[in-house]
Amino acid sequence: MTATTATTAAAGRSRLRSRRARLTAYLYVIPALMLIVGIIYVGVVYNSWVSTLDWNGLDPEPTQVGGGNYARLLADPIFWTALRNVALFGVVTILVQMGLGLLIALVLSGPVYGRGVYRAVVFVPVVLAPAAISAAFRQFFRPDGQLNALLDAVGLDALQRAWVADPQVALLALMAVNVFSWTGFSFLLYQAALSQVEASQLEAAQIDGAGTVRTVRSIVVPQLRMTHVTLALTGVIGSLKTFDIVFLITGGGPARSTEFLTTYIYKEAIMQFNVGYGAALSMIVLALALLLTAVQMRLYRLDRES
Amino acid sequence: MFGRATIRARILYQVLATVLVLPFAFPLLWVVLVSFQGQGARANYAAVFTQTPFLQFITNSLIISAGTVVTVTLCTLLAGFALSKLEMPGKQLLFMAVVAGLMLPGIALTVPMFLIIRELGLFNNYVAVIGPLSAIILPMTVLLTRNYMRNVPDELLDAAKIDGATSFTTLVRVVVPLSRAIVAVVIVWSFLNAWNEFFLPLLFLTDPGMQAVTQIPTYFTSTYGSDVPKIFAALTLMCLPIVVTYVAFQRHFERGLTAGAIKD
Repeated sequence: MTATTATTAAAGRSRLRSRRARLTAYLYVIPALMLIVGIIYVGVVYNSWVSTLDWNGLDPEPTQVGGGNYARLLADPIFWTALRNVALFGVVTILVQMGLGLLIALVLSGPVYGRGVYRAVVFVPVVLAPAAISAAFRQFFRPDGQLNALLDAVGLDALQRAWVADPQVALLALMAVNVFSWTGFSFLLYQAALSQVEASQLEAAQIDGAGTVRTVRSIVVPQLRMTHVTLALTGVIGSLKTFDIVFLITGGGPARSTEFLTTYIYKEAIMQFNVGYGAALSMIVLALALLLTAVQMRLYRLDRES
Repeated sequence: MFGRATIRARILYQVLATVLVLPFAFPLLWVVLVSFQGQGARANYAAVFTQTPFLQFITNSLIISAGTVVTVTLCTLLAGFALSKLEMPGKQLLFMAVVAGLMLPGIALTVPMFLIIRELGLFNNYVAVIGPLSAIILPMTVLLTRNYMRNVPDELLDAAKIDGATSFTTLVRVVVPLSRAIVAVVIVWSFLNAWNEFFLPLLFLTDPGMQAVTQIPTYFTSTYGSDVPKIFAALTLMCLPIVVTYVAFQRHFERGLTAGAIKD
């Protein structure tokens, strides 16, 4: 009888201990979770509430307008311009960065002298502050800047432009800056993935008489599918949150030709005190991020099943 | 990769590589070269230190970076350990809640962050930058760390437990020493993000004495006009810590970027 009690007590103690251990486990997660939930999730919820208000952010009694901000948004030509700009910017930069990154990774996997330096040059822009890159390019793009001087030097002076003052090419200029800063990222991921492509398969292809281009197209590119998906995903989110280079190089102009959703949010919410409208615009950005991520994941899964 | 190279192939590759890489080299070279022009390298760089509050900006960014690195590293190690090695109901759900943060562009939270920080009276307080910044970085670092710590053998943890070690002692004495590689990635990665952050200081640090290094270009242009060589000297200086860190920890930088993307 005493033995039974002892066993029960021991079992109880150990159960108690494992319960305590489980509770302790939560303690470990709390700091990270507090920051993420407290700032990101609470932020999203709070933002969705603010998006139903007509509010300057100060008035103690904001006006409820329900879906009013969203109705206004749909009729707002600037919103559609910004959306179009982001879409165009995203599609072009993602494709160019992927193509260029893959090409550089392939070429640098060949017999190239000074590979380390080449790698570093392509990759360094990724780690530099966009604020610094923007300041430099703002200068390069001036009518009397380095870009026009270079075009002149190589006899392409017909291409000279006032790059960021011309609504026809300002978005293109921003795309170029993005390609400059982010190609190194695509390059790095492709390089890592390339090193895992089976050498034996490549040899087999070459023995079969496939040329380099053919080998790359039919053996290498399909094997890098996971990397394509990753780059497309991070590229979409990256485009949606692009702010620094736009704000610092063109400020969204000239004539809204480079307005992005993010710069528009900043102008509306922070500079014009249209907090409710800014919040509604933010909801669109959040919805787009989630929707596009979901669509891409689905496509990827379908692709893998087939 | 494509078999043995002939001389012709070698030359072809070299030329191709150079043509592809030059557009990336030009802007970098231009910045440095222009910073030597005007009144000369010495005068330009000296002016940045003596005529502007450059050192103040650097100090402010160091404070922001240190705060962010410490916050992110501590939160990441604790959460990564629990999510990979400890038992708890709803663990998967917690993990998903953390990682879902990767999909949300932080900049879309401008309005709530602005309103909340104002309500808390945290304008011109570094906490207003460090908090949100850490929250935005954490999903990535927790994902990396949790994946890495999963590979620490359970036998080692069990052995520590038998020796009477608490889970915290096990983390500090066993798991962290075995995870030094990923700790380095987390530190380097959060430093990089904090040093380069432009938006949050723009939003919350309005006092000129508290500005971050990323405000330097704007500040200089508005205060000192367009003395381009001096601005470029300042750009070179503000990028120097990052370039030095990159050269020193190249492997960790690249690993941080690729690991999260390729694994899982």
